Amino acid sequence: MESLRKPLSRLAQLSLRPGKQQVSYQSPWGRWALRGTALAYLTAFLLIPLFVIIQDGLREGLAGLWHQVTLPIAWNALMLTLWTAAVMTLINTIIGTLTAFVLVRYEFPGKMLLNSLIDLPLAIPTLVTGVMLVTLYGPQEALGAWLKEQFDFSIIFAPPGIILALLFITLPFVVRTVQPVLMNLDRSQEYAAATLGAGSWTIFRRITLPPLLLPLTSGALLSFARAIGEFGAVVIVAGNIPLYSQTAAVYVLGEVESENRLGASAMSVFMIAISFGLMMLVERLQPRQ
Amino acid sequence: MSIVLEHLTKRYDGHLVVNNVSLEVGDGEFFVLLGSSGSGKTTILSLVAGLVPVDQGRILLHNRDVTYLPPQERKVGFVFQNYALFQSMTVSENVEFGLSIRKVSAAERRRRSDELLELVGLSGLGNRKPWQLSGGQQQRVALARALAYQPDVLLLDEPLGALDAKIRTELRRNLKSIQRKLGVATIFVTHDQEEAFDLADRIGIMSFGRLLEVGTPDDLYRRPQTEFVASFLGTANQLVGNLTPEGIEVGAWHFPIFNNLQQMSQDRRVQVLFRPEDVALTPDVANLDCPRLGKAVVEEVAFGGAYERLRLRLPAISGVRSISPPVPFGSDSILVDTTRSPEQASRFPLQPGDQAWVGVHRIHVLAHPGLSFLILTDGSFRSQAALDLGGQIARLAHARVTVLGCGKLDKALQSHLQEARKQLGSGLVSLEAITFESDPVQAVQQAIEQRPHDLIIMGFNHQEDLPTTEQILDFGEHHLLLVPRPQPVPGKALICVSGGEPGKDDVLFAGRLVRHLSADATLLTVAAPARTEGGWWDRSERYLESGVRSLSLLGVPAKTVLRTGTVPEEICAEMRNGSYDMLVMGAPLTRPGEGISLAGVVGQTLSMVPDIATLIVRSHFIAQGSWNR
Repeated sequence: MESLRKPLSRLAQLSLRPGKQQVSYQSPWGRWALRGTALAYLTAFLLIPLFVIIQDGLREGLAGLWHQVTLPIAWNALMLTLWTAAVMTLINTIIGTLTAFVLVRYEFPGKMLLNSLIDLPLAIPTLVTGVMLVTLYGPQEALGAWLKEQFDFSIIFAPPGIILALLFITLPFVVRTVQPVLMNLDRSQEYAAATLGAGSWTIFRRITLPPLLLPLTSGALLSFARAIGEFGAVVIVAGNIPLYSQTAAVYVLGEVESENRLGASAMSVFMIAISFGLMMLVERLQPRQ
Repeated sequence: MSIVLEHLTKRYDGHLVVNNVSLEVGDGEFFVLLGSSGSGKTTILSLVAGLVPVDQGRILLHNRDVTYLPPQERKVGFVFQNYALFQSMTVSENVEFGLSIRKVSAAERRRRSDELLELVGLSGLGNRKPWQLSGGQQQRVALARALAYQPDVLLLDEPLGALDAKIRTELRRNLKSIQRKLGVATIFVTHDQEEAFDLADRIGIMSFGRLLEVGTPDDLYRRPQTEFVASFLGTANQLVGNLTPEGIEVGAWHFPIFNNLQQMSQDRRVQVLFRPEDVALTPDVANLDCPRLGKAVVEEVAFGGAYERLRLRLPAISGVRSISPPVPFGSDSILVDTTRSPEQASRFPLQPGDQAWVGVHRIHVLAHPGLSFLILTDGSFRSQAALDLGGQIARLAHARVTVLGCGKLDKALQSHLQEARKQLGSGLVSLEAITFESDPVQAVQQAIEQRPHDLIIMGFNHQEDLPTTEQILDFGEHHLLLVPRPQPVPGKALICVSGGEPGKDDVLFAGRLVRHLSADATLLTVAAPARTEGGWWDRSERYLESGVRSLSLLGVPAKTVLRTGTVPEEICAEMRNGSYDMLVMGAPLTRPGEGISLAGVVGQTLSMVPDIATLIVRSHFIAQGSWNR
């Protein structure tokens, strides 16, 4: 046994990390048992359901899946989901960066409170978010009615409502990814730029922003991914009008209820693919050790 | 003048970081600000660069008032301690940054950046990213970047601090030659003495926010004005001797007066400095070709490379007190540090325990002898206040501090003294603690006999401590600071002078202390209505004006106030009006044992202003009876 292990470990050294040998304090059984548990758990609760839904969506082949997704109502729901999420991401990126900047760089009364409020959307049930927005902007409510009357602009039961709901829900994502990076940023680079004659906008654009781009992008992608699957708030706010204000997630519910399982699975697989692709991208963007 | 700073002052959270600093740096001059960390030198650079707003004072760069201009418009090149290179740009982009802001054409930028990279010895590395360079290389990029747009002045904040010794010396040589070549006025901040000596045309020594002295390296080393600078630069032997008409007297040894010393100090005591290399050692007295100090025993011999270091112990010399190197409390002997060349050492080899005659080739007399404070404590709450305030004032005034513990010598007092040492420790020129198991008066008396002090600081309660105060004043010439409760360092002092008394001495010590605290002073005199006839107003005004003049010589801004009425009441009223936080009153200087009574004006005033620090200044010109009128 001993004679066998030696060449093996030497091989491991050669192929992986030269000169760096891992010291183990556990028995080999313990190590494998630990890995086995984690893997079994992942398989049971993540991989199997994923596999099942993908298999279900592909029941009639790729063509069948494509057919289900490109049905007018489905396609429209998908497009609505994507463009509202995109608009939300754009706004969120700008405002989120601004908020993080204000929170890190400025002192003002109520800063602590604001800082803790940022995370509130994570804690509030998204259904409640929807109800809040309807209460504020609903066609029967003062503000909603006034907007409708003055500008013929409706928010609730229309795409703007969806964007508002998504904005509310994804508020923390960009702020919380940018904030720590901004906090650890060395100010002396900015001071140096100032002594060299750069104005504050130039300093922000050329000195402060570059190191923020990476966290900014991953924050934006995270909020986009989160928005695609949003159901609770949207189902209340959007009004579920096919071809107008029905999003992909709500569409899936409709298909399940009308017992079109293939339609539901196909759309689900599509959404999984988008989310998975985004997560892979975020993963790639993370700075490596 | 390239850089002119006028009365620059900066506070952070009420804490004085830069304290009334005035400085002129000439065209092309290499000026070094030298001081320990936290002395405010970096803040001065930030003020000049405009990175931090100025509280008071003015900054002129090439006769242009930039005090309120943003950093972008000041045209300063700044090199940061941590280099602060733009990580997202290449080396050339870093160097070209200042030029691209100024819309210089790409070709010209390239030319200039190549030129500067060559100047700092980094040609060909323009396309690297900052993190691909070593620390020394990064620092040179930072220098090239600061110089690229041809700034009016160059500011360097400990630029070599993070580098290892060898690279540091090499870069230092580089830096000096580049600065010479470009002829740009430079302020260089460092805590490294060797660096300062090596680079500077002139050095400014900073401590606790104040610029203590400015001069050429040679001047500051050989002819320092203050005790702090004397001991901060190199090794210093310092003694207190006497000023006599024949010259400086240190024991049996006389030095002729060579500068206008009489004007410098009315004190008969003077502080004498000599450097280790000024000391001569010989086997017998006949060989000594310079004034001799005495016969000493060798305590330590250490090998120092190019030279040998010795510490010698001289027996006590009457009338001479040693300041540095410090001797343990209670010992009268005098320690002397000296260095010898290997040649000298081989001619007259010395081992610990050997005896040698000690002579001194040259001495220097400090213009401002250092102060020494005695802080009295018995562990009570009000002596804690005295420790607090005394420690802070001593730090600002660069005074040596002796903490005197008295009362019952138990565990509580011991741990209190230990705590006090810890609390006072940082930033004091010297600190020692002594204890006497006796009442405060006897303890002070014993301590004073060992060594006189300029100022005694004690906690004070006007109902209980008046007799103690009187007795402490009775044996010695020390001034007294009474601290009734914890308070911050005074910012506004009311100096009460007794009208008609000619003494400027009342004002002088107070003025010195107030200057160290950078507080404002107001001179007050009060007379009973009955005494205001016959030109009293004119005389008093003239008198106060002369006081203001002597204060302004010390650099203390002063106002004057004249009042009529009952003296303690008027003092009290003025204290309330002006929101002063220190009161200064005079007390006579008497022969020991003659007895001092504070029962008059001082005592009454103390009981009426019970919660503000009061400085009792001793003066020959105050007659015993005068305060009681």
